[in-house]
Amino acid sequence: MSAKVVLISSDDEKFPVELKVAEKSILIKNMVLDLNPDGLEEDFEIPTPNVRATVLEKVIEWCEHHKNTVFPDEDDEDAKKSAPIDEWDKNFLKVDQEMLYEIISAANYLNIRPLLDAGCKTVAEMIRNKSPEELRKIFNIVNDFTPEEEAAIRRENEWAEDR
Amino acid sequence: MSQQQPLGSPIPFPASSDLNGTWAFIQPSLGLILGSSGDQGVTSKVYMNCYTAVYNYCTNKSRNGGSISDTGPTNPATTNSYSLAGSEIYSKLEKYLVKLITSLRKEPNESFLEFYVRRLNRFTIGAGYMNNVFDYMNRYWVQKERSDGRRDIYDVSTLCVLQWKAQMFVNNADRLIEEIMDQIERQRNNEIIDTNLISSAVKSLVYLGVDTQDLKKANLVVYINYFEKKFLEETAKYYRLESNEFLAEHNVVDYMKKCETRLNEEISRSNNYLEDHTKKALVDTLNTVLIKDHANEMYDQFISLLENNQLEHIQRMYKLMSRVPSTLEPLAESLERYIKNDAIKVIEEIKKGGESTNNDNEEVAAVTKAKKSNGPINPKTYVHSLISVYLKFNDVVNDAFEKDPIFIRALDNACRHFVNKNSIALVNPKSSSKTPEILARYADAFLRSSSKEADTYDMNTDNLMIVFKFVEDKDAFEENYRRMLAKRLINNTSKSEELEESVIKRLQEENSLEYTSKMNKMFVDMKSSEDLKMKMRDHLVEIDSSLKDFTPLILASSMWPFSKQPDYVVKFPQDLQDIIDNFTELYTKAHTGRQLDWLWNHGRSEIKANLSRKGKPAFTFIVTNVQLLILLAFNDRKTYSFSELQEVVGCPPHLLDNQITPLVKYKLFEQSPSGPQNQNKPNTTFTIVDEYKSRKLKVNFVSSLKSEQRQEDDEISKEISESRQLYLRACIVRIMKARKTISHPELYNEVVTQSLSRFHAKNTDVKKTITLLIEQNYMKRIDNSIYEYVA
Repeated sequence: MSAKVVLISSDDEKFPVELKVAEKSILIKNMVLDLNPDGLEEDFEIPTPNVRATVLEKVIEWCEHHKNTVFPDEDDEDAKKSAPIDEWDKNFLKVDQEMLYEIISAANYLNIRPLLDAGCKTVAEMIRNKSPEELRKIFNIVNDFTPEEEAAIRRENEWAEDR
Repeated sequence: MSQQQPLGSPIPFPASSDLNGTWAFIQPSLGLILGSSGDQGVTSKVYMNCYTAVYNYCTNKSRNGGSISDTGPTNPATTNSYSLAGSEIYSKLEKYLVKLITSLRKEPNESFLEFYVRRLNRFTIGAGYMNNVFDYMNRYWVQKERSDGRRDIYDVSTLCVLQWKAQMFVNNADRLIEEIMDQIERQRNNEIIDTNLISSAVKSLVYLGVDTQDLKKANLVVYINYFEKKFLEETAKYYRLESNEFLAEHNVVDYMKKCETRLNEEISRSNNYLEDHTKKALVDTLNTVLIKDHANEMYDQFISLLENNQLEHIQRMYKLMSRVPSTLEPLAESLERYIKNDAIKVIEEIKKGGESTNNDNEEVAAVTKAKKSNGPINPKTYVHSLISVYLKFNDVVNDAFEKDPIFIRALDNACRHFVNKNSIALVNPKSSSKTPEILARYADAFLRSSSKEADTYDMNTDNLMIVFKFVEDKDAFEENYRRMLAKRLINNTSKSEELEESVIKRLQEENSLEYTSKMNKMFVDMKSSEDLKMKMRDHLVEIDSSLKDFTPLILASSMWPFSKQPDYVVKFPQDLQDIIDNFTELYTKAHTGRQLDWLWNHGRSEIKANLSRKGKPAFTFIVTNVQLLILLAFNDRKTYSFSELQEVVGCPPHLLDNQITPLVKYKLFEQSPSGPQNQNKPNTTFTIVDEYKSRKLKVNFVSSLKSEQRQEDDEISKEISESRQLYLRACIVRIMKARKTISHPELYNEVVTQSLSRFHAKNTDVKKTITLLIEQNYMKRIDNSIYEYVA
């Protein structure tokens, strides 16, 4: 078997994965190239001090699933914005909020663009068509506006109202 | 959302809000990455810790905006309620790079070049790592700044390059370039050098060419300004010196070999470590210094290479000089001059009589004899000599000059010159060339059946065509050729009809259908006369005539070079006259409106003469029509006086005199009183012999007749000049009709171009024709040298 990349979570759990899977993270891809310019010859340990084992496991699961996926051009922002979330990703991201945020954060940290996009779109879906009161409830936010401030903001943003 | 701090990690990460703490945490690792603190390997842990610390710092700062944390100097983005962090750590990094690069020191035992390349190679690798370690900052902060229009903020990789350029390269450029040049010169001097060193140093100059407006676009500004200019200067200097020194001590052939070697070396050098951009300029420089600047030396050598027929070296010279196309023209001119001179020598040889050639050859002996008597030149010797010059230099052009059009043109020009204007062809500088006529005689020699096989075995149409191609007065050739063809046809002396036609076909292909139209018509006349001959035969059998055969040839007078000779008058006996009348009737009935002229002077008769010894077969005499009438008279009597014969035959005395000569000379007649001076005296008598003595049964009394060559020559040149004038008139009128107004030089050029396939129009002839046309109101002169067409 070819040499593997061994990712080590912040809580010291080791996850041996195929290079092809780990390379979904541009950070890891670049580092492996930098430090092994002649290619991987033996297992290569990489600490990821910002990611807990439970989160890392989820991220690796995503990378494993997408190891053969060809993602659209990185630079094509419009195509990326308008594309709906992949069905598998939608189900994959049906997790509690805490875990969702940690996955997003890890994707940002490890530079896994498609996962970051899917995560952000999931959060956006949660916001869509909700009233401020509903949103405060969902995201556990305390209303710190005075009624005057709130009215002013509503006026300013009247143009955006859908009704 | 709260940031997860690594649990149980052996290295305590600095607080994400603490800039100085974060910097203190990563700085030792940066030293490792950039190789300033030894070269021990950078581990994944070092790498990840740096990345994580930068990440933590940037994300923390960004999350808090500018409102809480103020650990660094004033952040230009703090006015926004939300901003990306990076500015402070970016400027720390920048300062760090300056310090690091300026602290690099050369080892005592290495050259500056070695130091520079060694350090730069290491730094470049490090810069690549750095870019990834600072990826988070690149990804968000740098990108934001640049898209906001900041052109002094760069991704970390570019920042590293620019700092290297500012701190290391600019300050040491002169020294660096000088050392590179020194290495290149050593290599040119065949010293062994480390080419990797030059290659790396030169490539690094390309790496330093950063376009600060568009980082994705590499440019060669640094490479060109610091290196390429200097390199080309040094190259020119080096080879200018070398070529001068080399030529002072070596011959041109060795120099050319040296050039080939040097050019190959420089090309492989440029492939090894120069940018493509330099290649063309380098080749141009070398071509100028090595070839163009020494073209004169090569031209001088060229003549001696030609003299010794050293094709290999001529080709070498051609290949070198074709690198600088402007140097080829003088070489081609030189070749043209040389060929002309060579041809002059060959022509002089012929005039001397070609003693050097094989004297056993009967023909050469004949030539020598002919020359001694100042007679005409032998067409075969002449034509074959011209061809030998052409073939010799055609080989040179094909093999050494690789059929380069410039040299093909030089050969053609030279050939056209010597074929038409050599000292044999031109009796005096103003006369027209004799080459067309000699060439026509050459053709006649191998087309005539009377020529000996041995004399003509290597004379052929291919040779004819080689020279024909270069003949300028093609109309003169046609005129001469057609006259000789006409004689071959009517006298039935052609070797083969097939061969005749194949020559015509070749001439037609080379020139035009129009060119051979008269000759083609002549063949048609010959064929249609066949029919008449058959009809006449039937008639002769019917009337049981003493005339056993009669071959009338109907020849269109405008196609054939024959004209009626007014004083050639003959009186036929009645029985013959009847046959002639009968034929005339037959013909005019079939073709009303045609005028039939009898050209008795061109006819031949065969007559059976019973003058043999008893028991021997009768003789056959071949005679002219006048001779026929003379001999027929002797059927009645044995002796006639000159005046009596004149009476019988009906022709003028000078003609009779001329025609009797062979009969007397070959002892058919006994003349009294004898002696040529008495031959045309009215009372001189001629008596036919009883028994004629000859070894041959067939005796020709025609061939020894004095041919009227001089008269024919005049006729030819008259005919040519007449047809030229007609041609020029038609040509000028045609041009005037199309152009309406035209200046004289333009008109002249146009005429020359149009008539090129027939002859070379002389300005004086064109002027004469114009004057004539003006007199006849075809055109008028509207200005000094401008003509207008008159409809």
